[in-house]
Amino acid sequence: MSKILVTGMAGSLAQLTADRLLEQGHQVIGVDYRERPAHLRPDIPFYKGNYNKTRFEDVIRREKPDGLMHLGRVGNLKIRVGKRFDLNVVGTGKVMELSLKYGVKRLLVLSTFHIYGAHAHNHIPIFEDEPLRAGSTFPEIADAVQLDNMAQQWVYRHRQLRTVVVRPCNVIGPGIRNAISRFLRRKRLPYVAGFSPMWQFVHQSDMVTALTDLFHSDEVGTFNVAGAGAIPIVDALSITGAQTIPVPNPLASAYMTLQQRFGRGFPPYLLEFLKYPCVISDEKLRTAIGYQPKVGIEESILTCVRDAARIH
Amino acid sequence: MGAADLFNSLPVDDEVAARFAQIPNKLNERGFDQWGFNPESAKIYYSIGRMLQRYFRPKVYGIENLPAGRVLIVPNHSGQLPFDGMVVAVSVLMEAEPPRVVRAMAERWFPTLPFVNLAFSRSGVVVGDPINCRNLLEADNAILVFPEGARGCGKPWAQRYKLVRFGRGFMRLALQTNTPIVPVAVIGAEESIPSMFNFEAGAKIIGAPYLPMPPHLPLLGPLAYLPLPTQFHIHFGKPLSFDGPFDDEDEVIEEKVNVVKATIQEMIDDGLEQRESIF
Repeated sequence: MSKILVTGMAGSLAQLTADRLLEQGHQVIGVDYRERPAHLRPDIPFYKGNYNKTRFEDVIRREKPDGLMHLGRVGNLKIRVGKRFDLNVVGTGKVMELSLKYGVKRLLVLSTFHIYGAHAHNHIPIFEDEPLRAGSTFPEIADAVQLDNMAQQWVYRHRQLRTVVVRPCNVIGPGIRNAISRFLRRKRLPYVAGFSPMWQFVHQSDMVTALTDLFHSDEVGTFNVAGAGAIPIVDALSITGAQTIPVPNPLASAYMTLQQRFGRGFPPYLLEFLKYPCVISDEKLRTAIGYQPKVGIEESILTCVRDAARIH
Repeated sequence: MGAADLFNSLPVDDEVAARFAQIPNKLNERGFDQWGFNPESAKIYYSIGRMLQRYFRPKVYGIENLPAGRVLIVPNHSGQLPFDGMVVAVSVLMEAEPPRVVRAMAERWFPTLPFVNLAFSRSGVVVGDPINCRNLLEADNAILVFPEGARGCGKPWAQRYKLVRFGRGFMRLALQTNTPIVPVAVIGAEESIPSMFNFEAGAKIIGAPYLPMPPHLPLLGPLAYLPLPTQFHIHFGKPLSFDGPFDDEDEVIEEKVNVVKATIQEMIDDGLEQRESIF
């Protein structure tokens, strides 16, 4: 049994991961800059605080975790750039620094496949060692790219920490509240007319398996997580049973901005993903730890929308 | 009825469906590969392709030269619009034994074209990128690649049937993956949409690789871009195999490329000599 500190504990993926770790007999400590969620299991000690504040250092000093899963990446682009930079870049830097300082033996950093970027020239599939293209088409994602770059450096500079960086495709599931899961649950789903690039989804339970198995393995380095297979986005939207609305390409950008203005969260950078592919390979993960997704594409999408309440 | 249902209700040519039924595919639970190839949609596009094919009444020679397993099919490129690619693809599906779906390497521009990108990717076309190509060759596919690229496709009337510079990428991939190259001469595409010259400034404005100017453009307007009913002759040559390191210097690779280029030019010249009529 080991003691594992999990950041982002107010988020669904962290809670699902914590559940799995507890099942496996580990001890879990939760940290988040947000409030303790009302339904969090009582057997998880929870600390509220920014990762770049001294309170966080106090927690690590006191709790002396054996391992740290940094799942607290902020993907929400509604949060202004300055705060996101503080949380994602400065915060992650601090998390890694403190892990080193207090003798954490295993570090996992959650990144995202979005940093590869959707682009007309993308080949298929994209592997872990390829350039991160997102910054050139969508500068607002710079914090995510920098977070990932820092974690990469850490992998090689501080080998004693044994760091893994995880870049999953779209994580979806009934418990997940990220931008994509919320998008899929809408009653009306816009897409760009005449485009339907391939998308990949990984179900929350497979994602938790990938995270925990990788964490408990001896692997270091960067790993993509791709899910059960790629399907055209318009097919994915049709599976939800919602009404799909084709938006002509020249109007798409204005439409998405307008939707965003009215709070129907759809991050504008995803517009590129509605037109061009960003298909990743998780062959490395499959070879390294024998990862094999169990939930199919259709089932992942259906459970994401059916078992969670519809919004809007 | 949505656009998707409308598309799916289009008739599928029985013979096309029968050929597809003979082809094994590695697809996911929803019937797609990772590039977006989907045999169900491809059948519809190939049925349309076959109808267009009849317009060009192609004569196919030497299709038995196509080996089993991985192969690079390398034709000359011409005709302003890639009808030559379509005709070769339909011929390989309908006439090769066993039937095969070629995976064509296309201009990096195509994913930005609405609807065209869907038709292309569902029928097996991928962006002409070495990594795409290598992955598909390693899975023993038949790859259709035009080493002349847009330079060849958009060449004006005065340069018809003269091969322009070949890219070297296909040769490096052939060496790296130990793949035979089948040279192909396409006769008839050059005359389908004759172009006086490439209107470069116009191409730049619309973001296209080139913009052909058919002589009858002032008379017919956009209709001038409809291909004339020229007859296509497709000559498949004997497979060529090459040895040597794939990462050798450009000059060494170039020599091997020139062997392929010379073979195709010879096949074109012979084909033109044999041809009795453009139509």
